[in-house]
Amino acid sequence: MGLRDFIARRVSRRVDVYRIDDFSVEPPETVSIKKRVDTVRLKPEIACDVSRPFEFSEITEKMKANAVNVKLAEKMPKAHNHRIKHFVKEDVKTHTLQFTKKPKTWSLLKQLQALPQERENVLKYMKKRPETLRNEVILACYGPIVEGGVLKLALNKQRGTLLVWYKAGSRQLKAKYAYLIRRLGLGGKPEWRWE
Amino acid sequence: MANNALGYIIIDGTETQIRGAALVTDAKGFPVDFVRTDPLRPDQLSRILYGESFGKYAKEKLILESLLDAVETDPQIWICNDADILAPLREKSRIKSVLLEESPHVPLDAAGHIETTADPGVFLIQANTNGAPFRAEFPGGIRPEEVQQTGAILTEAAATMDILEPFARLEKALNFLASGARV
Repeated sequence: MGLRDFIARRVSRRVDVYRIDDFSVEPPETVSIKKRVDTVRLKPEIACDVSRPFEFSEITEKMKANAVNVKLAEKMPKAHNHRIKHFVKEDVKTHTLQFTKKPKTWSLLKQLQALPQERENVLKYMKKRPETLRNEVILACYGPIVEGGVLKLALNKQRGTLLVWYKAGSRQLKAKYAYLIRRLGLGGKPEWRWE
Repeated sequence: MANNALGYIIIDGTETQIRGAALVTDAKGFPVDFVRTDPLRPDQLSRILYGESFGKYAKEKLILESLLDAVETDPQIWICNDADILAPLREKSRIKSVLLEESPHVPLDAAGHIETTADPGVFLIQANTNGAPFRAEFPGGIRPEEVQQTGAILTEAAATMDILEPFARLEKALNFLASGARV
C-alpha cells in the first residue's frame, strides 16, 4: 500500500479499486488417466450351414454342436495407456444336447387278453323285437357277441353292462345278441336268450 | 397278418407325461397284438426348443413311430381318436386310417350307409344296426373309394363287435399300468 492510498484511506476513507483483466497464471496441465482398449470385430461370423431342412427325427436322439477352425479374432486387441495382463483365449466348447428319447415299448398281449369286453345295453336302439321273444318282457339287450367264442359272461349290475370274455384262438364269427328276458305270467327269474 | 383285424391307437397324457398304446383285434374284438410305451417324460430342453409344438412332435415322432415299429400284426385299418396323429398314422403305416367317434346324429337309413358332412374329410358312417352313425374323419386328400372301403370294413366289423369298445379297454389298461400295478 503506497502513501497515497494510506492518506486516501485515512482522509477520505476511500480506496482505489483496480480491475485486473489479464491473468498471467497458466492453468495446470491435465493428463488423462482414461484407459482405452480397441475393439476388434470377431471374424469369421459363426453361422449354421444347413443345406436342407432338418426333420424332427434327425434331432431326436442327439445333436452335437461342432466348431471347426473358428478363430474368434485375428490379433489381440490393442490397449492404450495400459498393459493387458490377462487375455482369455478359450477354445470354443462343444456340448452334446440330449433330447427326449423315444420311449421303450412293451408287448402285453396276454395281459390284455385277460380283460373282458364291455357291452352296453342297446335295447333303446332296437327297431323291432325278435319274433321269438314276442311273449317275453325284454329287460336288456347286449351285442353283438360271438356266442360260440364266449368263455364267460358277467352282468355288471351297477353299470348295467355285460362283460364278455372270449376264448383265445376261437375262430367262431357268428354273432348274436344276448337278451335278458322275463317270461310273462310266470313271475320267474330273469333269464338269458340268444337271438 | 389278420385280414379282418382292426387296429386302435391311443396317445394321451399331459405336458409332463405322454404315453401311448396300440391294440390290434380280430373281428370279435379279441386282442391279437398289443403294445404300449413307457410314459414319456419330456426333458426341459426339449420343451424349450420345441415350444408349443412339442406335444405334436412327441405324439407323432416319439410315441406313434415307436408303436408302429413295435406292432407285429398289420390291421386292415387303423382307428384313432386324436386328430394330431391321423395324417401321420396314414402316412407312416400306409394303412387306411380314420378318426372315429360317436355322433349325436340320428341313425341313418341302414347299416353301411355313408353321408357327407359340411366338414371336408368328415363323413357319417352307419356301421352298426343298433346305434347312431359314427363321425369318421379322414386325412386330407382322401379318395372317395377309400371312404367307401373304410365304410365297408367298419360295417362288416360292427356285425361281430362293438367298434369303439376297444378304446375303453385300452384306456383301462393304460390307467391300470399308470397306477403302478402290473397286469
